[in-house]
Amino acid sequence: MEQEFTHLDCRNYAPVDVAKGICHVKKEIVLADGESCESFEKLPKCKFCKNYAPGEGEYIGTCEASKTRPMTYPDLIGVTCDFFAWQEN
Amino acid sequence: MSKRLSQVLQESGISLGFQAGGSAPEEVADREVKREPCPRANKLRDLYYQALSSATNEFPYWYTRQYMELDNEVPAVRRALSLKCAFSHLTPVILPGELIAMGKAHYYRGSFPMPWLSEGYYMAKEDELYKAALAKGSASADEVSKFGSGGGNVTGNFGNVISIAGKFGIRREEMPALLKVARAWVGKSVDDLGHKYEQMVPGYEIKEAIMKSVVCMFDSGYTLPQGREVINYYYLLQYGFDGLIEMAKQKKDQVAGRPDGDGIVGMNRLYNYEAAIHILEGIQIWILNYAKEARRLEAMEKDPIQKREYQDIAQCLEWISRHSPRTFREATQLCWTIHIAVLNEDAISGLSPGRLGQVLWPWFEQDIEAGRTSEEEVIELLECLRVKFTCIDCFASMGVVGGVLSGNTFNNLSLGGLTQDGTSACNRLEELIIEAATNCVTTQPTLSVLFDDRLPEPFLLKAVECVKTGTGYPAFVNNRVAIEFLMNQYGEEGMKLDEARAIAIGGCLETSPCSWMPLSLEGKEYLIPGGSGQPTSVGVHFISLPKILELVLFDGVDQRTGQRVFPAHGQTLETYEELFGQVKAYFARAVEVLALTNNIQHDIWRKNSVPIFNSLLKPDCLENGHLINELGYRYNATYNVETCGTANLINSLAALKRIVYHNKEQTLDELKEALKVNFGFKEAAEVGSFSLADQEKKEGVDEYDRLHFLCLTAPKYGNDDPFVDRILKEWEDWFCGMCHDYESLNAKPYYACQISVSTHAPMGAATIATPDGRLSGTTFADASMSAYPGTDRNGPYALFTSATCWDHCKSQNSQMNMKIHPSAIRGITGSRKLLELTRSYMRRGGFHIQYNIVDSRVLREAQRNPDQYRDLVVRVAGFTQYWVEIGKPIQDEVIARTEYEGV
Repeated sequence: MEQEFTHLDCRNYAPVDVAKGICHVKKEIVLADGESCESFEKLPKCKFCKNYAPGEGEYIGTCEASKTRPMTYPDLIGVTCDFFAWQEN
Repeated sequence: MSKRLSQVLQESGISLGFQAGGSAPEEVADREVKREPCPRANKLRDLYYQALSSATNEFPYWYTRQYMELDNEVPAVRRALSLKCAFSHLTPVILPGELIAMGKAHYYRGSFPMPWLSEGYYMAKEDELYKAALAKGSASADEVSKFGSGGGNVTGNFGNVISIAGKFGIRREEMPALLKVARAWVGKSVDDLGHKYEQMVPGYEIKEAIMKSVVCMFDSGYTLPQGREVINYYYLLQYGFDGLIEMAKQKKDQVAGRPDGDGIVGMNRLYNYEAAIHILEGIQIWILNYAKEARRLEAMEKDPIQKREYQDIAQCLEWISRHSPRTFREATQLCWTIHIAVLNEDAISGLSPGRLGQVLWPWFEQDIEAGRTSEEEVIELLECLRVKFTCIDCFASMGVVGGVLSGNTFNNLSLGGLTQDGTSACNRLEELIIEAATNCVTTQPTLSVLFDDRLPEPFLLKAVECVKTGTGYPAFVNNRVAIEFLMNQYGEEGMKLDEARAIAIGGCLETSPCSWMPLSLEGKEYLIPGGSGQPTSVGVHFISLPKILELVLFDGVDQRTGQRVFPAHGQTLETYEELFGQVKAYFARAVEVLALTNNIQHDIWRKNSVPIFNSLLKPDCLENGHLINELGYRYNATYNVETCGTANLINSLAALKRIVYHNKEQTLDELKEALKVNFGFKEAAEVGSFSLADQEKKEGVDEYDRLHFLCLTAPKYGNDDPFVDRILKEWEDWFCGMCHDYESLNAKPYYACQISVSTHAPMGAATIATPDGRLSGTTFADASMSAYPGTDRNGPYALFTSATCWDHCKSQNSQMNMKIHPSAIRGITGSRKLLELTRSYMRRGGFHIQYNIVDSRVLREAQRNPDQYRDLVVRVAGFTQYWVEIGKPIQDEVIARTEYEGV
């Protein structure tokens, strides 16, 4: 089944706060948890990174790119992370 | 139905109308001056109105990840590398329409916790970490503090948002990682380590009892260890990032392996310069990440105007990431970037830009002269800057952010004052700053005029016009008094008159040492002012004076909790002198133990969490190679003792002196009994109002009415009554002097600081009825020189006479708030009246005055219908805040303040 994405997962979404943001494409305020649209572009996040390994519970994992395998979490944004690499699927 | 106090008094022929100098007009009056910002700033401000205070785990995550990997690195370098890692991983977000880019975090009102300082307070109340914070007293103030329920405050969970610390929202999916990061700091944070060592202070148990009883509001060492100071933008404005990095590299070569006669910390200089290079590089990367984001947006943008604006942002950021600015816009952007970089380095409130109009003057002057910009463009940029400053949020506990700060962050911009050679320092850019603040009413930065008779009348009238918008800013600060205080406090560190003239206000009202820095731009030389002192308001924060009196009356036992705070004094208190002596004794004991424990907390902070970026900005750290922890700053005598509830203490002492000791109308025991049962009234929390007039009587309890009447009608401060003013003078002379007896961790004397901020609400909530007739749980009088609401009956000049019965130069500050009905100062005649009123207070030696120009009925209406008043601002005590973001106890207090109908 195809994964469903929200605005929070979109590169075109500029967060204003924890609940809403501005879509850079449509120039309007959208809800963070709203369903993504046709302009969706995936935002680099740990959960989309091939170095991410799930860990204890839904919201904790590890970063396999680092020798120390530090804790990380799926929704950590990775646009500035040198280790980020897209998962192949 | 229960009777309110106002009704009870009315039946006795006493008015509690809170109006003076006439009556308010029948029709509700709006403010006379109302302006609009430019469309761009208006849009950005509207977005602010919609934005929630939002927290993120990004910075703490990357900081902690790096820090834990650097075991055994030299502390300053370890910290610098961790900060570098955090800065360089922040997600850049730029919103359409912004001219000035960058923010603390990727949310508009973004902030984040710093668990390396303290990790327990933002846990759920069921969590064992929060319980531990309560047990040691560090979370007690949280329990009596309240946030406003509106505006951007996230006071409850909704959807996928979790409310933390009662104000900030965080995404549900980030919360488990945030908690995991926090737990990594258990036993390692400044709070935890400081607590381990502070317990070694003899008499520590008194400190813990003091905190649990909210005799003292908070420890500054792990909550807000910096701030209440003036930033210094100079070095980066003059040399740029590349220049400073190069300078640090050269210095490293000069000091490597050389103690140069200092066997204790001389060798540290190498590590400090190394740390400086790391942090500067980290901030460069952070800026460039924003530049890259601007380029990305530029590439995808279809609208040519917006496309061009993204391009301009990118070019500006790319340049300032390496070089000193060439234009007014670049200089403004760089100052903003430096400002938030310092705020991200540590938990800070009250980081003041200082005399920004004088700092930016060289670029303004040259750009205007060359036609590179216009005054309209400058105003637009300044209005956008106001919105950016207003977006700053400070993440701290409920007790600190709610109880002390009312959600404010105190970025105070100073105007006017004198030049190094003693002439007026105000300039055209400062007038435009006032213009922008009049047009674009926001809470930050607040403004303070450094008042001197040498400032030109048109400039002062422009400031008055801004006050008439109802913003509460600018406040007026006595430049002469401030300079005298600086000379006294910092004389031993070399402060001379010409340097004292660089003074600016740090935080809401903290007189801060500054210096003149020689700046060269396009071959022209300037002197620009900037901060050169450590945080000027850290140490003993705040001591509740009415609570000290309560403890004296009840032999050291807190009547709210039933817990013993001080050892029993065993005095019979048969004379007034004995009573006053015991007040001083308990107060001194509190200061002693709090100074010692705070010294330890701040010492742990400076050892393990030393600010590197802020240090290298301040003279003379770059030159001498020492950071704040090695007293690299030019001025280090900056610790203070803050108090709250001065008017209630003085009024209570006056009532006791008159009723019990002079007239012997009631015995002390009878009065104590009445205080314990709150004069037969319900508790304020039960009534749901924290204003005296609204308090309700318990039915059928009348035996304390006469005594309560005597207390309420006893002489009160603020009426030019020598009986009361002598008490105030004795208190002030003693208090300002005794602070010097305590030694800060920098081996310098403490000094007195007298501002309430918002502490008069939670501290009032934790204090039973007082002998001045104030009832249990109600808010104290605001500030330190304001009268208790409704008790200043003889007009403003009588209040000024009372307030200036002591020498304000002995204290870092004093604070006077006055509420004036808009109709009292209408037109140019009204403006001149307000200016004359201000001048009168300054000439008498008053340190500070600020005005709320508002009809109290508007505030009552706003309390009933907050949704219709999102943009209403009021002056609280040293700061302006959105009405809807203020807790009810402070709202009630602002409504209750005496409203002057004529000046």
